[in-house]
Amino acid sequence: MKLRRLLYTVPLRLRSIFRPGQVERELEEELRFHLDHKIDEGIARGLSPQQARFAALRAMDGLDQRKEQMRDARRIHWLTDFVDDLRYATRSLRRTFGLTAFVVVTLALGIGMSAAAFSMVDGLILRPYPVPRSGDVVDLVSTTRDDGFDEFSYREYVDLRRLTTSYDGVIAGTTVLPVGFSAERGATPRIKAGMLVSGDYFGVLGVVPQIGRAFREDEDAVPGRDAVMVLGPDFWKHDFGGDASVVGRTVRLNGTDFTIVGVAPESFPGMQIFQRPDFYVPLAMARALSMDRDKNFFEDRDYRSLGVRARLKAGTALQAARHEITFLAQTFAREYPAANRDRGATVHTMFEMRTRNDFGEWKFIVIFAVLSLVVLSVACTNVAGLLLSRGQARAREIAVRLAIGAGGSRVIRMLLTESLLLAVVGGAGGVAVAYAAIRFFHTLRIPSELPVVLPFRLDERVLLASLALSISSAVACGLAPALQATRADLVNGLKSADVDVPARRRWWGRNALVVAQVSLSLVLLTASFVMMRGFRIGVDAGTGSVKDHVLMARFDPRLMQYSLPQTQRFYQLLVERAGATSGVESAALTQNPPLGLNPFDRIAFVPDGFVMPRDRETFVATMDTVDEGFFATMDVAVLRGRGILRSDSADAPLVAVVNEQFAKHYWQGEDAVGKHIRLNSGTGTLVEIVGIARTVKYRQSFEKPTDFVYLPVAQHPKSGMVLLMRSSGDPHQLVGPLESLVHALDANMPISDVRTYADVYRYNVVEGPGVGVEIVATMGAVGLMLAVAGLYGLVAYSVSRRTREIGIRMAVGASPWDVLRLVMSKGLTLVAIGVAIGLTLGLGLERLLSAFLFNAGGIDVLAYAVVVPALLTATLFATYLPARRASHIAPTQALRYE
Amino acid sequence: MLPLDTEMSKPTDLVQGTLDLLLLKLLALEPLHGWAISLRLRALSGDVLNVSEGSLYPALHKLEQEGWIKAEWKTTENNRKAKFYALTRLGKKQLEAEAANWKRLSSAISHVVQLSEI
Repeated sequence: MKLRRLLYTVPLRLRSIFRPGQVERELEEELRFHLDHKIDEGIARGLSPQQARFAALRAMDGLDQRKEQMRDARRIHWLTDFVDDLRYATRSLRRTFGLTAFVVVTLALGIGMSAAAFSMVDGLILRPYPVPRSGDVVDLVSTTRDDGFDEFSYREYVDLRRLTTSYDGVIAGTTVLPVGFSAERGATPRIKAGMLVSGDYFGVLGVVPQIGRAFREDEDAVPGRDAVMVLGPDFWKHDFGGDASVVGRTVRLNGTDFTIVGVAPESFPGMQIFQRPDFYVPLAMARALSMDRDKNFFEDRDYRSLGVRARLKAGTALQAARHEITFLAQTFAREYPAANRDRGATVHTMFEMRTRNDFGEWKFIVIFAVLSLVVLSVACTNVAGLLLSRGQARAREIAVRLAIGAGGSRVIRMLLTESLLLAVVGGAGGVAVAYAAIRFFHTLRIPSELPVVLPFRLDERVLLASLALSISSAVACGLAPALQATRADLVNGLKSADVDVPARRRWWGRNALVVAQVSLSLVLLTASFVMMRGFRIGVDAGTGSVKDHVLMARFDPRLMQYSLPQTQRFYQLLVERAGATSGVESAALTQNPPLGLNPFDRIAFVPDGFVMPRDRETFVATMDTVDEGFFATMDVAVLRGRGILRSDSADAPLVAVVNEQFAKHYWQGEDAVGKHIRLNSGTGTLVEIVGIARTVKYRQSFEKPTDFVYLPVAQHPKSGMVLLMRSSGDPHQLVGPLESLVHALDANMPISDVRTYADVYRYNVVEGPGVGVEIVATMGAVGLMLAVAGLYGLVAYSVSRRTREIGIRMAVGASPWDVLRLVMSKGLTLVAIGVAIGLTLGLGLERLLSAFLFNAGGIDVLAYAVVVPALLTATLFATYLPARRASHIAPTQALRYE
Repeated sequence: MLPLDTEMSKPTDLVQGTLDLLLLKLLALEPLHGWAISLRLRALSGDVLNVSEGSLYPALHKLEQEGWIKAEWKTTENNRKAKFYALTRLGKKQLEAEAANWKRLSSAISHVVQLSEI
C-alpha cells in the first residue's frame, strides 16, 4: 500500500523539483481553461465580456491564493524555501567575505580536529569487529589479583570449549607472531605476521574465505598433522598478486611445508587493531611456529598464550555467561591448584576490552578528543559571537521582515540556513583538515619487526561524524543569534538599528571566554615552543652512540627449532663472517640496540656488601646482553676498565660492564671497577664489574640518565639477537652480502627487521617527538586563532552597540585617537589578564616539561620572547580593526542612528 | 481587511473532507477535467451543496499528490488541451474507505437526530 503510493507520488514530487517551470505552466493552463469556459458561460448568460471575466475571477475566490494552495499541495515548499534561503545566505555571506572566510577557517579547524580525534577514538575503541553480528562476540579472560586480562592456556581453552553452554562457539588465537616465510624451498625466509587460531575460528566468526575454504575442525585435532594455512587478504594481494590459483600451493613457514587452503575475504583484515595477520595456521601446528620451547603448548596449563573469544548465544545474558565462567574458574582452581590457584575468569565485551585500564593509548586519544571538542565548542561560541554582532547590524532588516508578516520560525530558519551554510563549508574544510591530520600520522614510519597498522582512517564513519559535527555546530552557532534577532522588540528595532539592552551578565561570560582563550593559547604555544627546543637540544646533544653507517638485522633461531648449542654456534659464525665481509668495519651482537622499540630486559641485583633498605630485597636496572664488538660498533665509549672481551666465555668468571650513571649511583666517589654485584638476591651469583661505559640514551633521546648494565652474551645466552654491522660507506649496500652470508649458514634462517640504525634513530629522536610537538603546536596555533577571533568578535560587538555613544563623544570633541583608545582599552585589558594568567600557567607547565625533558631545563626566555609578542601583535590587530572603524564613524552619521 | 460581500464569503458548507469523497466518486464514473467536474458538481448537488470553484483545484491537486487520482493532458471535443483526472487503483480503495466511512457517519448522525425528537 505504502509502496504503491510512492509509485504515484515520487514521480510527481521529482517533477515539481526538477521541472518547476513546466509544472507551473500546466497549472496556469489548467486554470485558464477553467476561466475561459466560465467567461464563455457568463457571456452566454448575457454579461459583458468584462463583467463575465470579473465574475469568473470572483468565483475562484482569490486566484493567487488558490494558486499558492495548489503549489503547497506539491509538498516541496520546505525545499523551495530552503533554496531561497540558501541563495540569500550565499549573497549576504559573500558581502562580508573576510568575516565569512575567518569563520569558515575557524570552524574547519575545530571540525577537522574533532573529526581526526573521532577517527582515532573510532579506530581504538568504537569500530566494531569486521565480522557479521559483531556485537555478539565477547572476550573470555583469565584473571589474577594483578592482571584482570590474562590469557588462557591450550588445555584451559579446550576445557572452556567443552564445558561452557552460553556460546555458539568458542575460539582461540595467539597474538600475531613473527614467522619465517618463504614462497618456495631454498628462498631466504622473510619474517611475516602469522597467527595460530583454533580450527573453528573463521566458522564461529562468520568469515567466509573469498577463495578456497576455511580450516576443517579435524585439521586442528592432532598436533603437527595438518600443515594447512589460510592467507590474509592483504598478504595474498601483495605477495601473491591476488592469484586465485594459490589454493593448494605449498609454502614454507619456519622451514616446514604448509599448504594454502584458502584466502580470507577483503572484509576481514583480522581481529587486531594495530596488526594484520599475513596468514593463519591451526593451533595444532603450534610447534612449527615460534612458541617457547621450554614449555609444552598442548599440555602445560600455565602456558597462557591464547586469547579466547566466543559468540554469545542469542538470548543469553552477559551476566549469565559471567556466572558460568566464574564457576568454571573455581573448578579449575580446585582441580589444578598448581596452575590456577587464586585465578578467576570473566567475560568482557569488545568495548570493555578496548577501554581496559592496562592499555593506555585510548586514554590519550580520549583526552585529545575532548580537547578537540573543547576547541570546536569554543570555535562555535566565537562564531556565535561574530554572528551576534552581525545580527546587531541586521536587527532592522529582521524587524522589517517580521513586521511585514514573516513568521518568527521562518526568520529563524533563514538565519539558521546561514549558519548551516557556514558550517557545511567549514565542515568540508574540516574534512580536509582531518584528512591532513590522519595522513600526517600515517607518514610515521614505525621501525618495528612486524608492520604496525595505525587504525586511523578517513572512512564513511568519520565523514558521517564530520557531517554531524557540522550540523550541530551550525545549530550551536546560529540558534542563539537567531533567537536573539527574532526576540528583538519590533518597534525599537524599526526605529533604530542599535537597540541598547543592558546585559552586563552576558558580557561577563564573553569576557571570561576571551581571557581563557588568550591564556590557554599562550600556554599551548609556550608548551610547543619549549618541547620543540627541548627535542632540538636533544638532537643536537646527540645520544652518545653512533647513528649513521650501521645496518641492523634481527634473528631468532628458535624459529628454526635450534637447540641452545646450535644457536650459540650460529651467532658465533654469523658475527665472525659479518665482520669479515668487505666494507664492514666491525660487527656485533646485542639483544636490543639503544633507542629501539623493543623493551630492554631488567636485571635484579644487590651490590655486594650493601645493606639493603628494609623494604626491598633487590635493586633493579635495565640491561642488555652484548658481545665483545658492541662498544666499538655502537661507538659507546668505555671510560674506565675494559669492555666485554672474547675471553668472557661461559666458563670464565662472570663479569659485567655498567654505565657511569650506575657507578655514580651505587659507588659515589669510589671506583666501581673491581666491585661486585649479586644477581637476583643478596646471596645470588657474584658478578664482577670490569668496566664503566659512557651513559647514553637508551629509550628516548630526551630521557634522564638511567642506570644500565651490559652482560656478555656468552655468559647469558639469548635466542633472539640483533646483528649490528658498521660500514665504512652506505649501510644499505650491506644488505645483499648479509643475506647471502646468512643463506650460507642456514638457507631457511629468517632475517627480520633489516634496517639501518639511522631509521630507528630518526623515528625515535626526530619523527616520534615531532608528532607530539606538532599536535601541541597546532593546538596552540588554533588556540591563538580562536583567541583572535573571540577578541575581534567581542570588540566588534561592543563597537556596534556603542556607535551612538561614540558619535556623541566625537560630536562633543573627542578625537579619533581618544575613540581608538577607548575601544581598544577594553580588548587590551582582557589580553593583559589572559597573558598574565597564561604566563603563570606557562611557567608551571614549563617546570613540568623540564622535569620530563631533562634537556629543556631552566626558564626558556626565548620562548616567551617569541610567543608573548606574537600573541600581543595578533590580539592588538584583532582589537584595532573594529576600533579603527569606530573612530572613523562620522559623528553626524552615528547620531542619525537615533 | 475589507469586509467581503456575503455572497463571496466562504461558500463551502461542505463537511470537512466530503469534497474529496465527492471528487473521487465523480472521477470513479469517468475521467473528467476541472471545468467538467465543476459543472457536474453544480448539476448533481443543485443548490444544496455549494462548492467553491476556488477550492476545487487545490483539492484536485491534493488528491493527485496523494496518488489517488492521476492527471493526463488530453484534447477536448472543442479541440483544446485540458487536464483530465482519472481515478487510480489507490484512489478506488480510498473511495471505498471514505464512502464506508461516510455511511457510518451519516447513519450515526441521523440516528442521533431521530433520538432527539422523542
